[in-house]
Amino acid sequence: MLKTLTDLKPSRFLFAALLMGALTACATPPSDDKEALAEFEKANDPFEPANRLIFSANVAVDQLVLQPTAVTYRDLFPDELKPPVENFITNLFMPLSFLHSLLQGDMERANLAATRFFTALPTFLLGNTMPDKEPVFEDAGQTLAVWGFEPGPYVMLPLIGPSSVRGTLGTIGDFFFDPVGWVTDTPVTIGRAAGNAVVVRSNNVNQVRDLQRNSLDYYAAVRSLYRQQREAQVRNGGSTPVQPAPTLGLDLEEKSDTKETASGK
Amino acid sequence: MIARFTPAFVIVLALLFVAPAARADGHLDASVTFINSLSDRAITTLTDSEITADERRSQFRNLFREGFAVDGIARFALGRYWRNASKQEREEYLVLFEDVIVTTWADRFSLYSGQSFEVRGATNEPSNGPEKVALVSSQFFTSPTSPVQIEWRVASQGDVIKIVDVKVEGISMANTQRDEFNSVIRNNGRKLSSLLERLRKMRDS
Repeated sequence: MLKTLTDLKPSRFLFAALLMGALTACATPPSDDKEALAEFEKANDPFEPANRLIFSANVAVDQLVLQPTAVTYRDLFPDELKPPVENFITNLFMPLSFLHSLLQGDMERANLAATRFFTALPTFLLGNTMPDKEPVFEDAGQTLAVWGFEPGPYVMLPLIGPSSVRGTLGTIGDFFFDPVGWVTDTPVTIGRAAGNAVVVRSNNVNQVRDLQRNSLDYYAAVRSLYRQQREAQVRNGGSTPVQPAPTLGLDLEEKSDTKETASGK
Repeated sequence: MIARFTPAFVIVLALLFVAPAARADGHLDASVTFINSLSDRAITTLTDSEITADERRSQFRNLFREGFAVDGIARFALGRYWRNASKQEREEYLVLFEDVIVTTWADRFSLYSGQSFEVRGATNEPSNGPEKVALVSSQFFTSPTSPVQIEWRVASQGDVIKIVDVKVEGISMANTQRDEFNSVIRNNGRKLSSLLERLRKMRDS
């Protein structure tokens, strides 16, 4: 542990420096307008100027490094070797998922994670590349959410990508908490993260390109997608919370008129 | 006498209790049928490789208008800025919104290559208006092992039945659109005209 901490020093320093930069580049909340203030709070992104800056750096790294690597993997790596590689990477996440399922009190998912880890191992050696058990993904951010912690403001992490204050704490926690990290060296967990990034990215090359081209504000679109996806992960696909939704809009004129008079009173 | 009336009485009683439940669930069945027929038609008409991009767009527009509550979704996506918009701005926005959705989504159908689509069922959703709302769940098999979960929020009122939102893997398209539009307006001096400007640019590009 101590060794890892000392190894981390330069990156910790960098992280602290970036955090300082982010804090000084806060957006000022609008003070003139009650509704604008409510909107500012709903967006929950007080570090927006700094986040946007880091986001554009991340997009640049993605375009220069990650996307070309992912496309190369997708197009040139032999298709029959993809399932074993991808299952191997996925499996390395199962011990962490197991621990977090236990911490969340979810025995069913803990069982799923353990089953997936142990059944995939021998069949993997026997050349069965498609384990019949679905993987589960749980992390410290999700555990904190189950324990009742709010996500807090949106945070764009360098290289890692969209997160929240809760998610950032979780990511740091998992760095020390991960069983795979206990039994192996840091390069293994970093390799796993990098390998996973390439695999995930190779599966959404077209979707990301589509989103980049068709969004009016790519940063805001990613922020919205991240938040909703994270919420869905915490729920594990369970019942959806009540979310604002459009109506038929049959009464388009009348309703907006009544709203106007109601707010005018 | 009592014995003779009892069966009829039981039937009437049963109808009294069952009928409202059956009627309440009627919109669920109707919503499933609606999604099935709409998706069948979308797949047959829009994925035809023989048609031109313009033809595909015009066919998509027809299906979109028929199947989706376009104005309701557009108004939702604008959030609080709808209220303060002038009549002229609203009219332009509604046209632009439809045009942009049509151009971006119609082209996506040209990428379709025979993946299967399967409707699983429907559940009741809370509604904050006079309409009844069903959530129709479905799966789209991009690969045989990991289907994408798609949920359709279907609202019905009287003879009208339309989709008001689509959720892909739990992510609401309407909410994403609204967050994005609001961000554009907020970052450009809270002026609706800046959003209209960008939508115009996107449509004409």
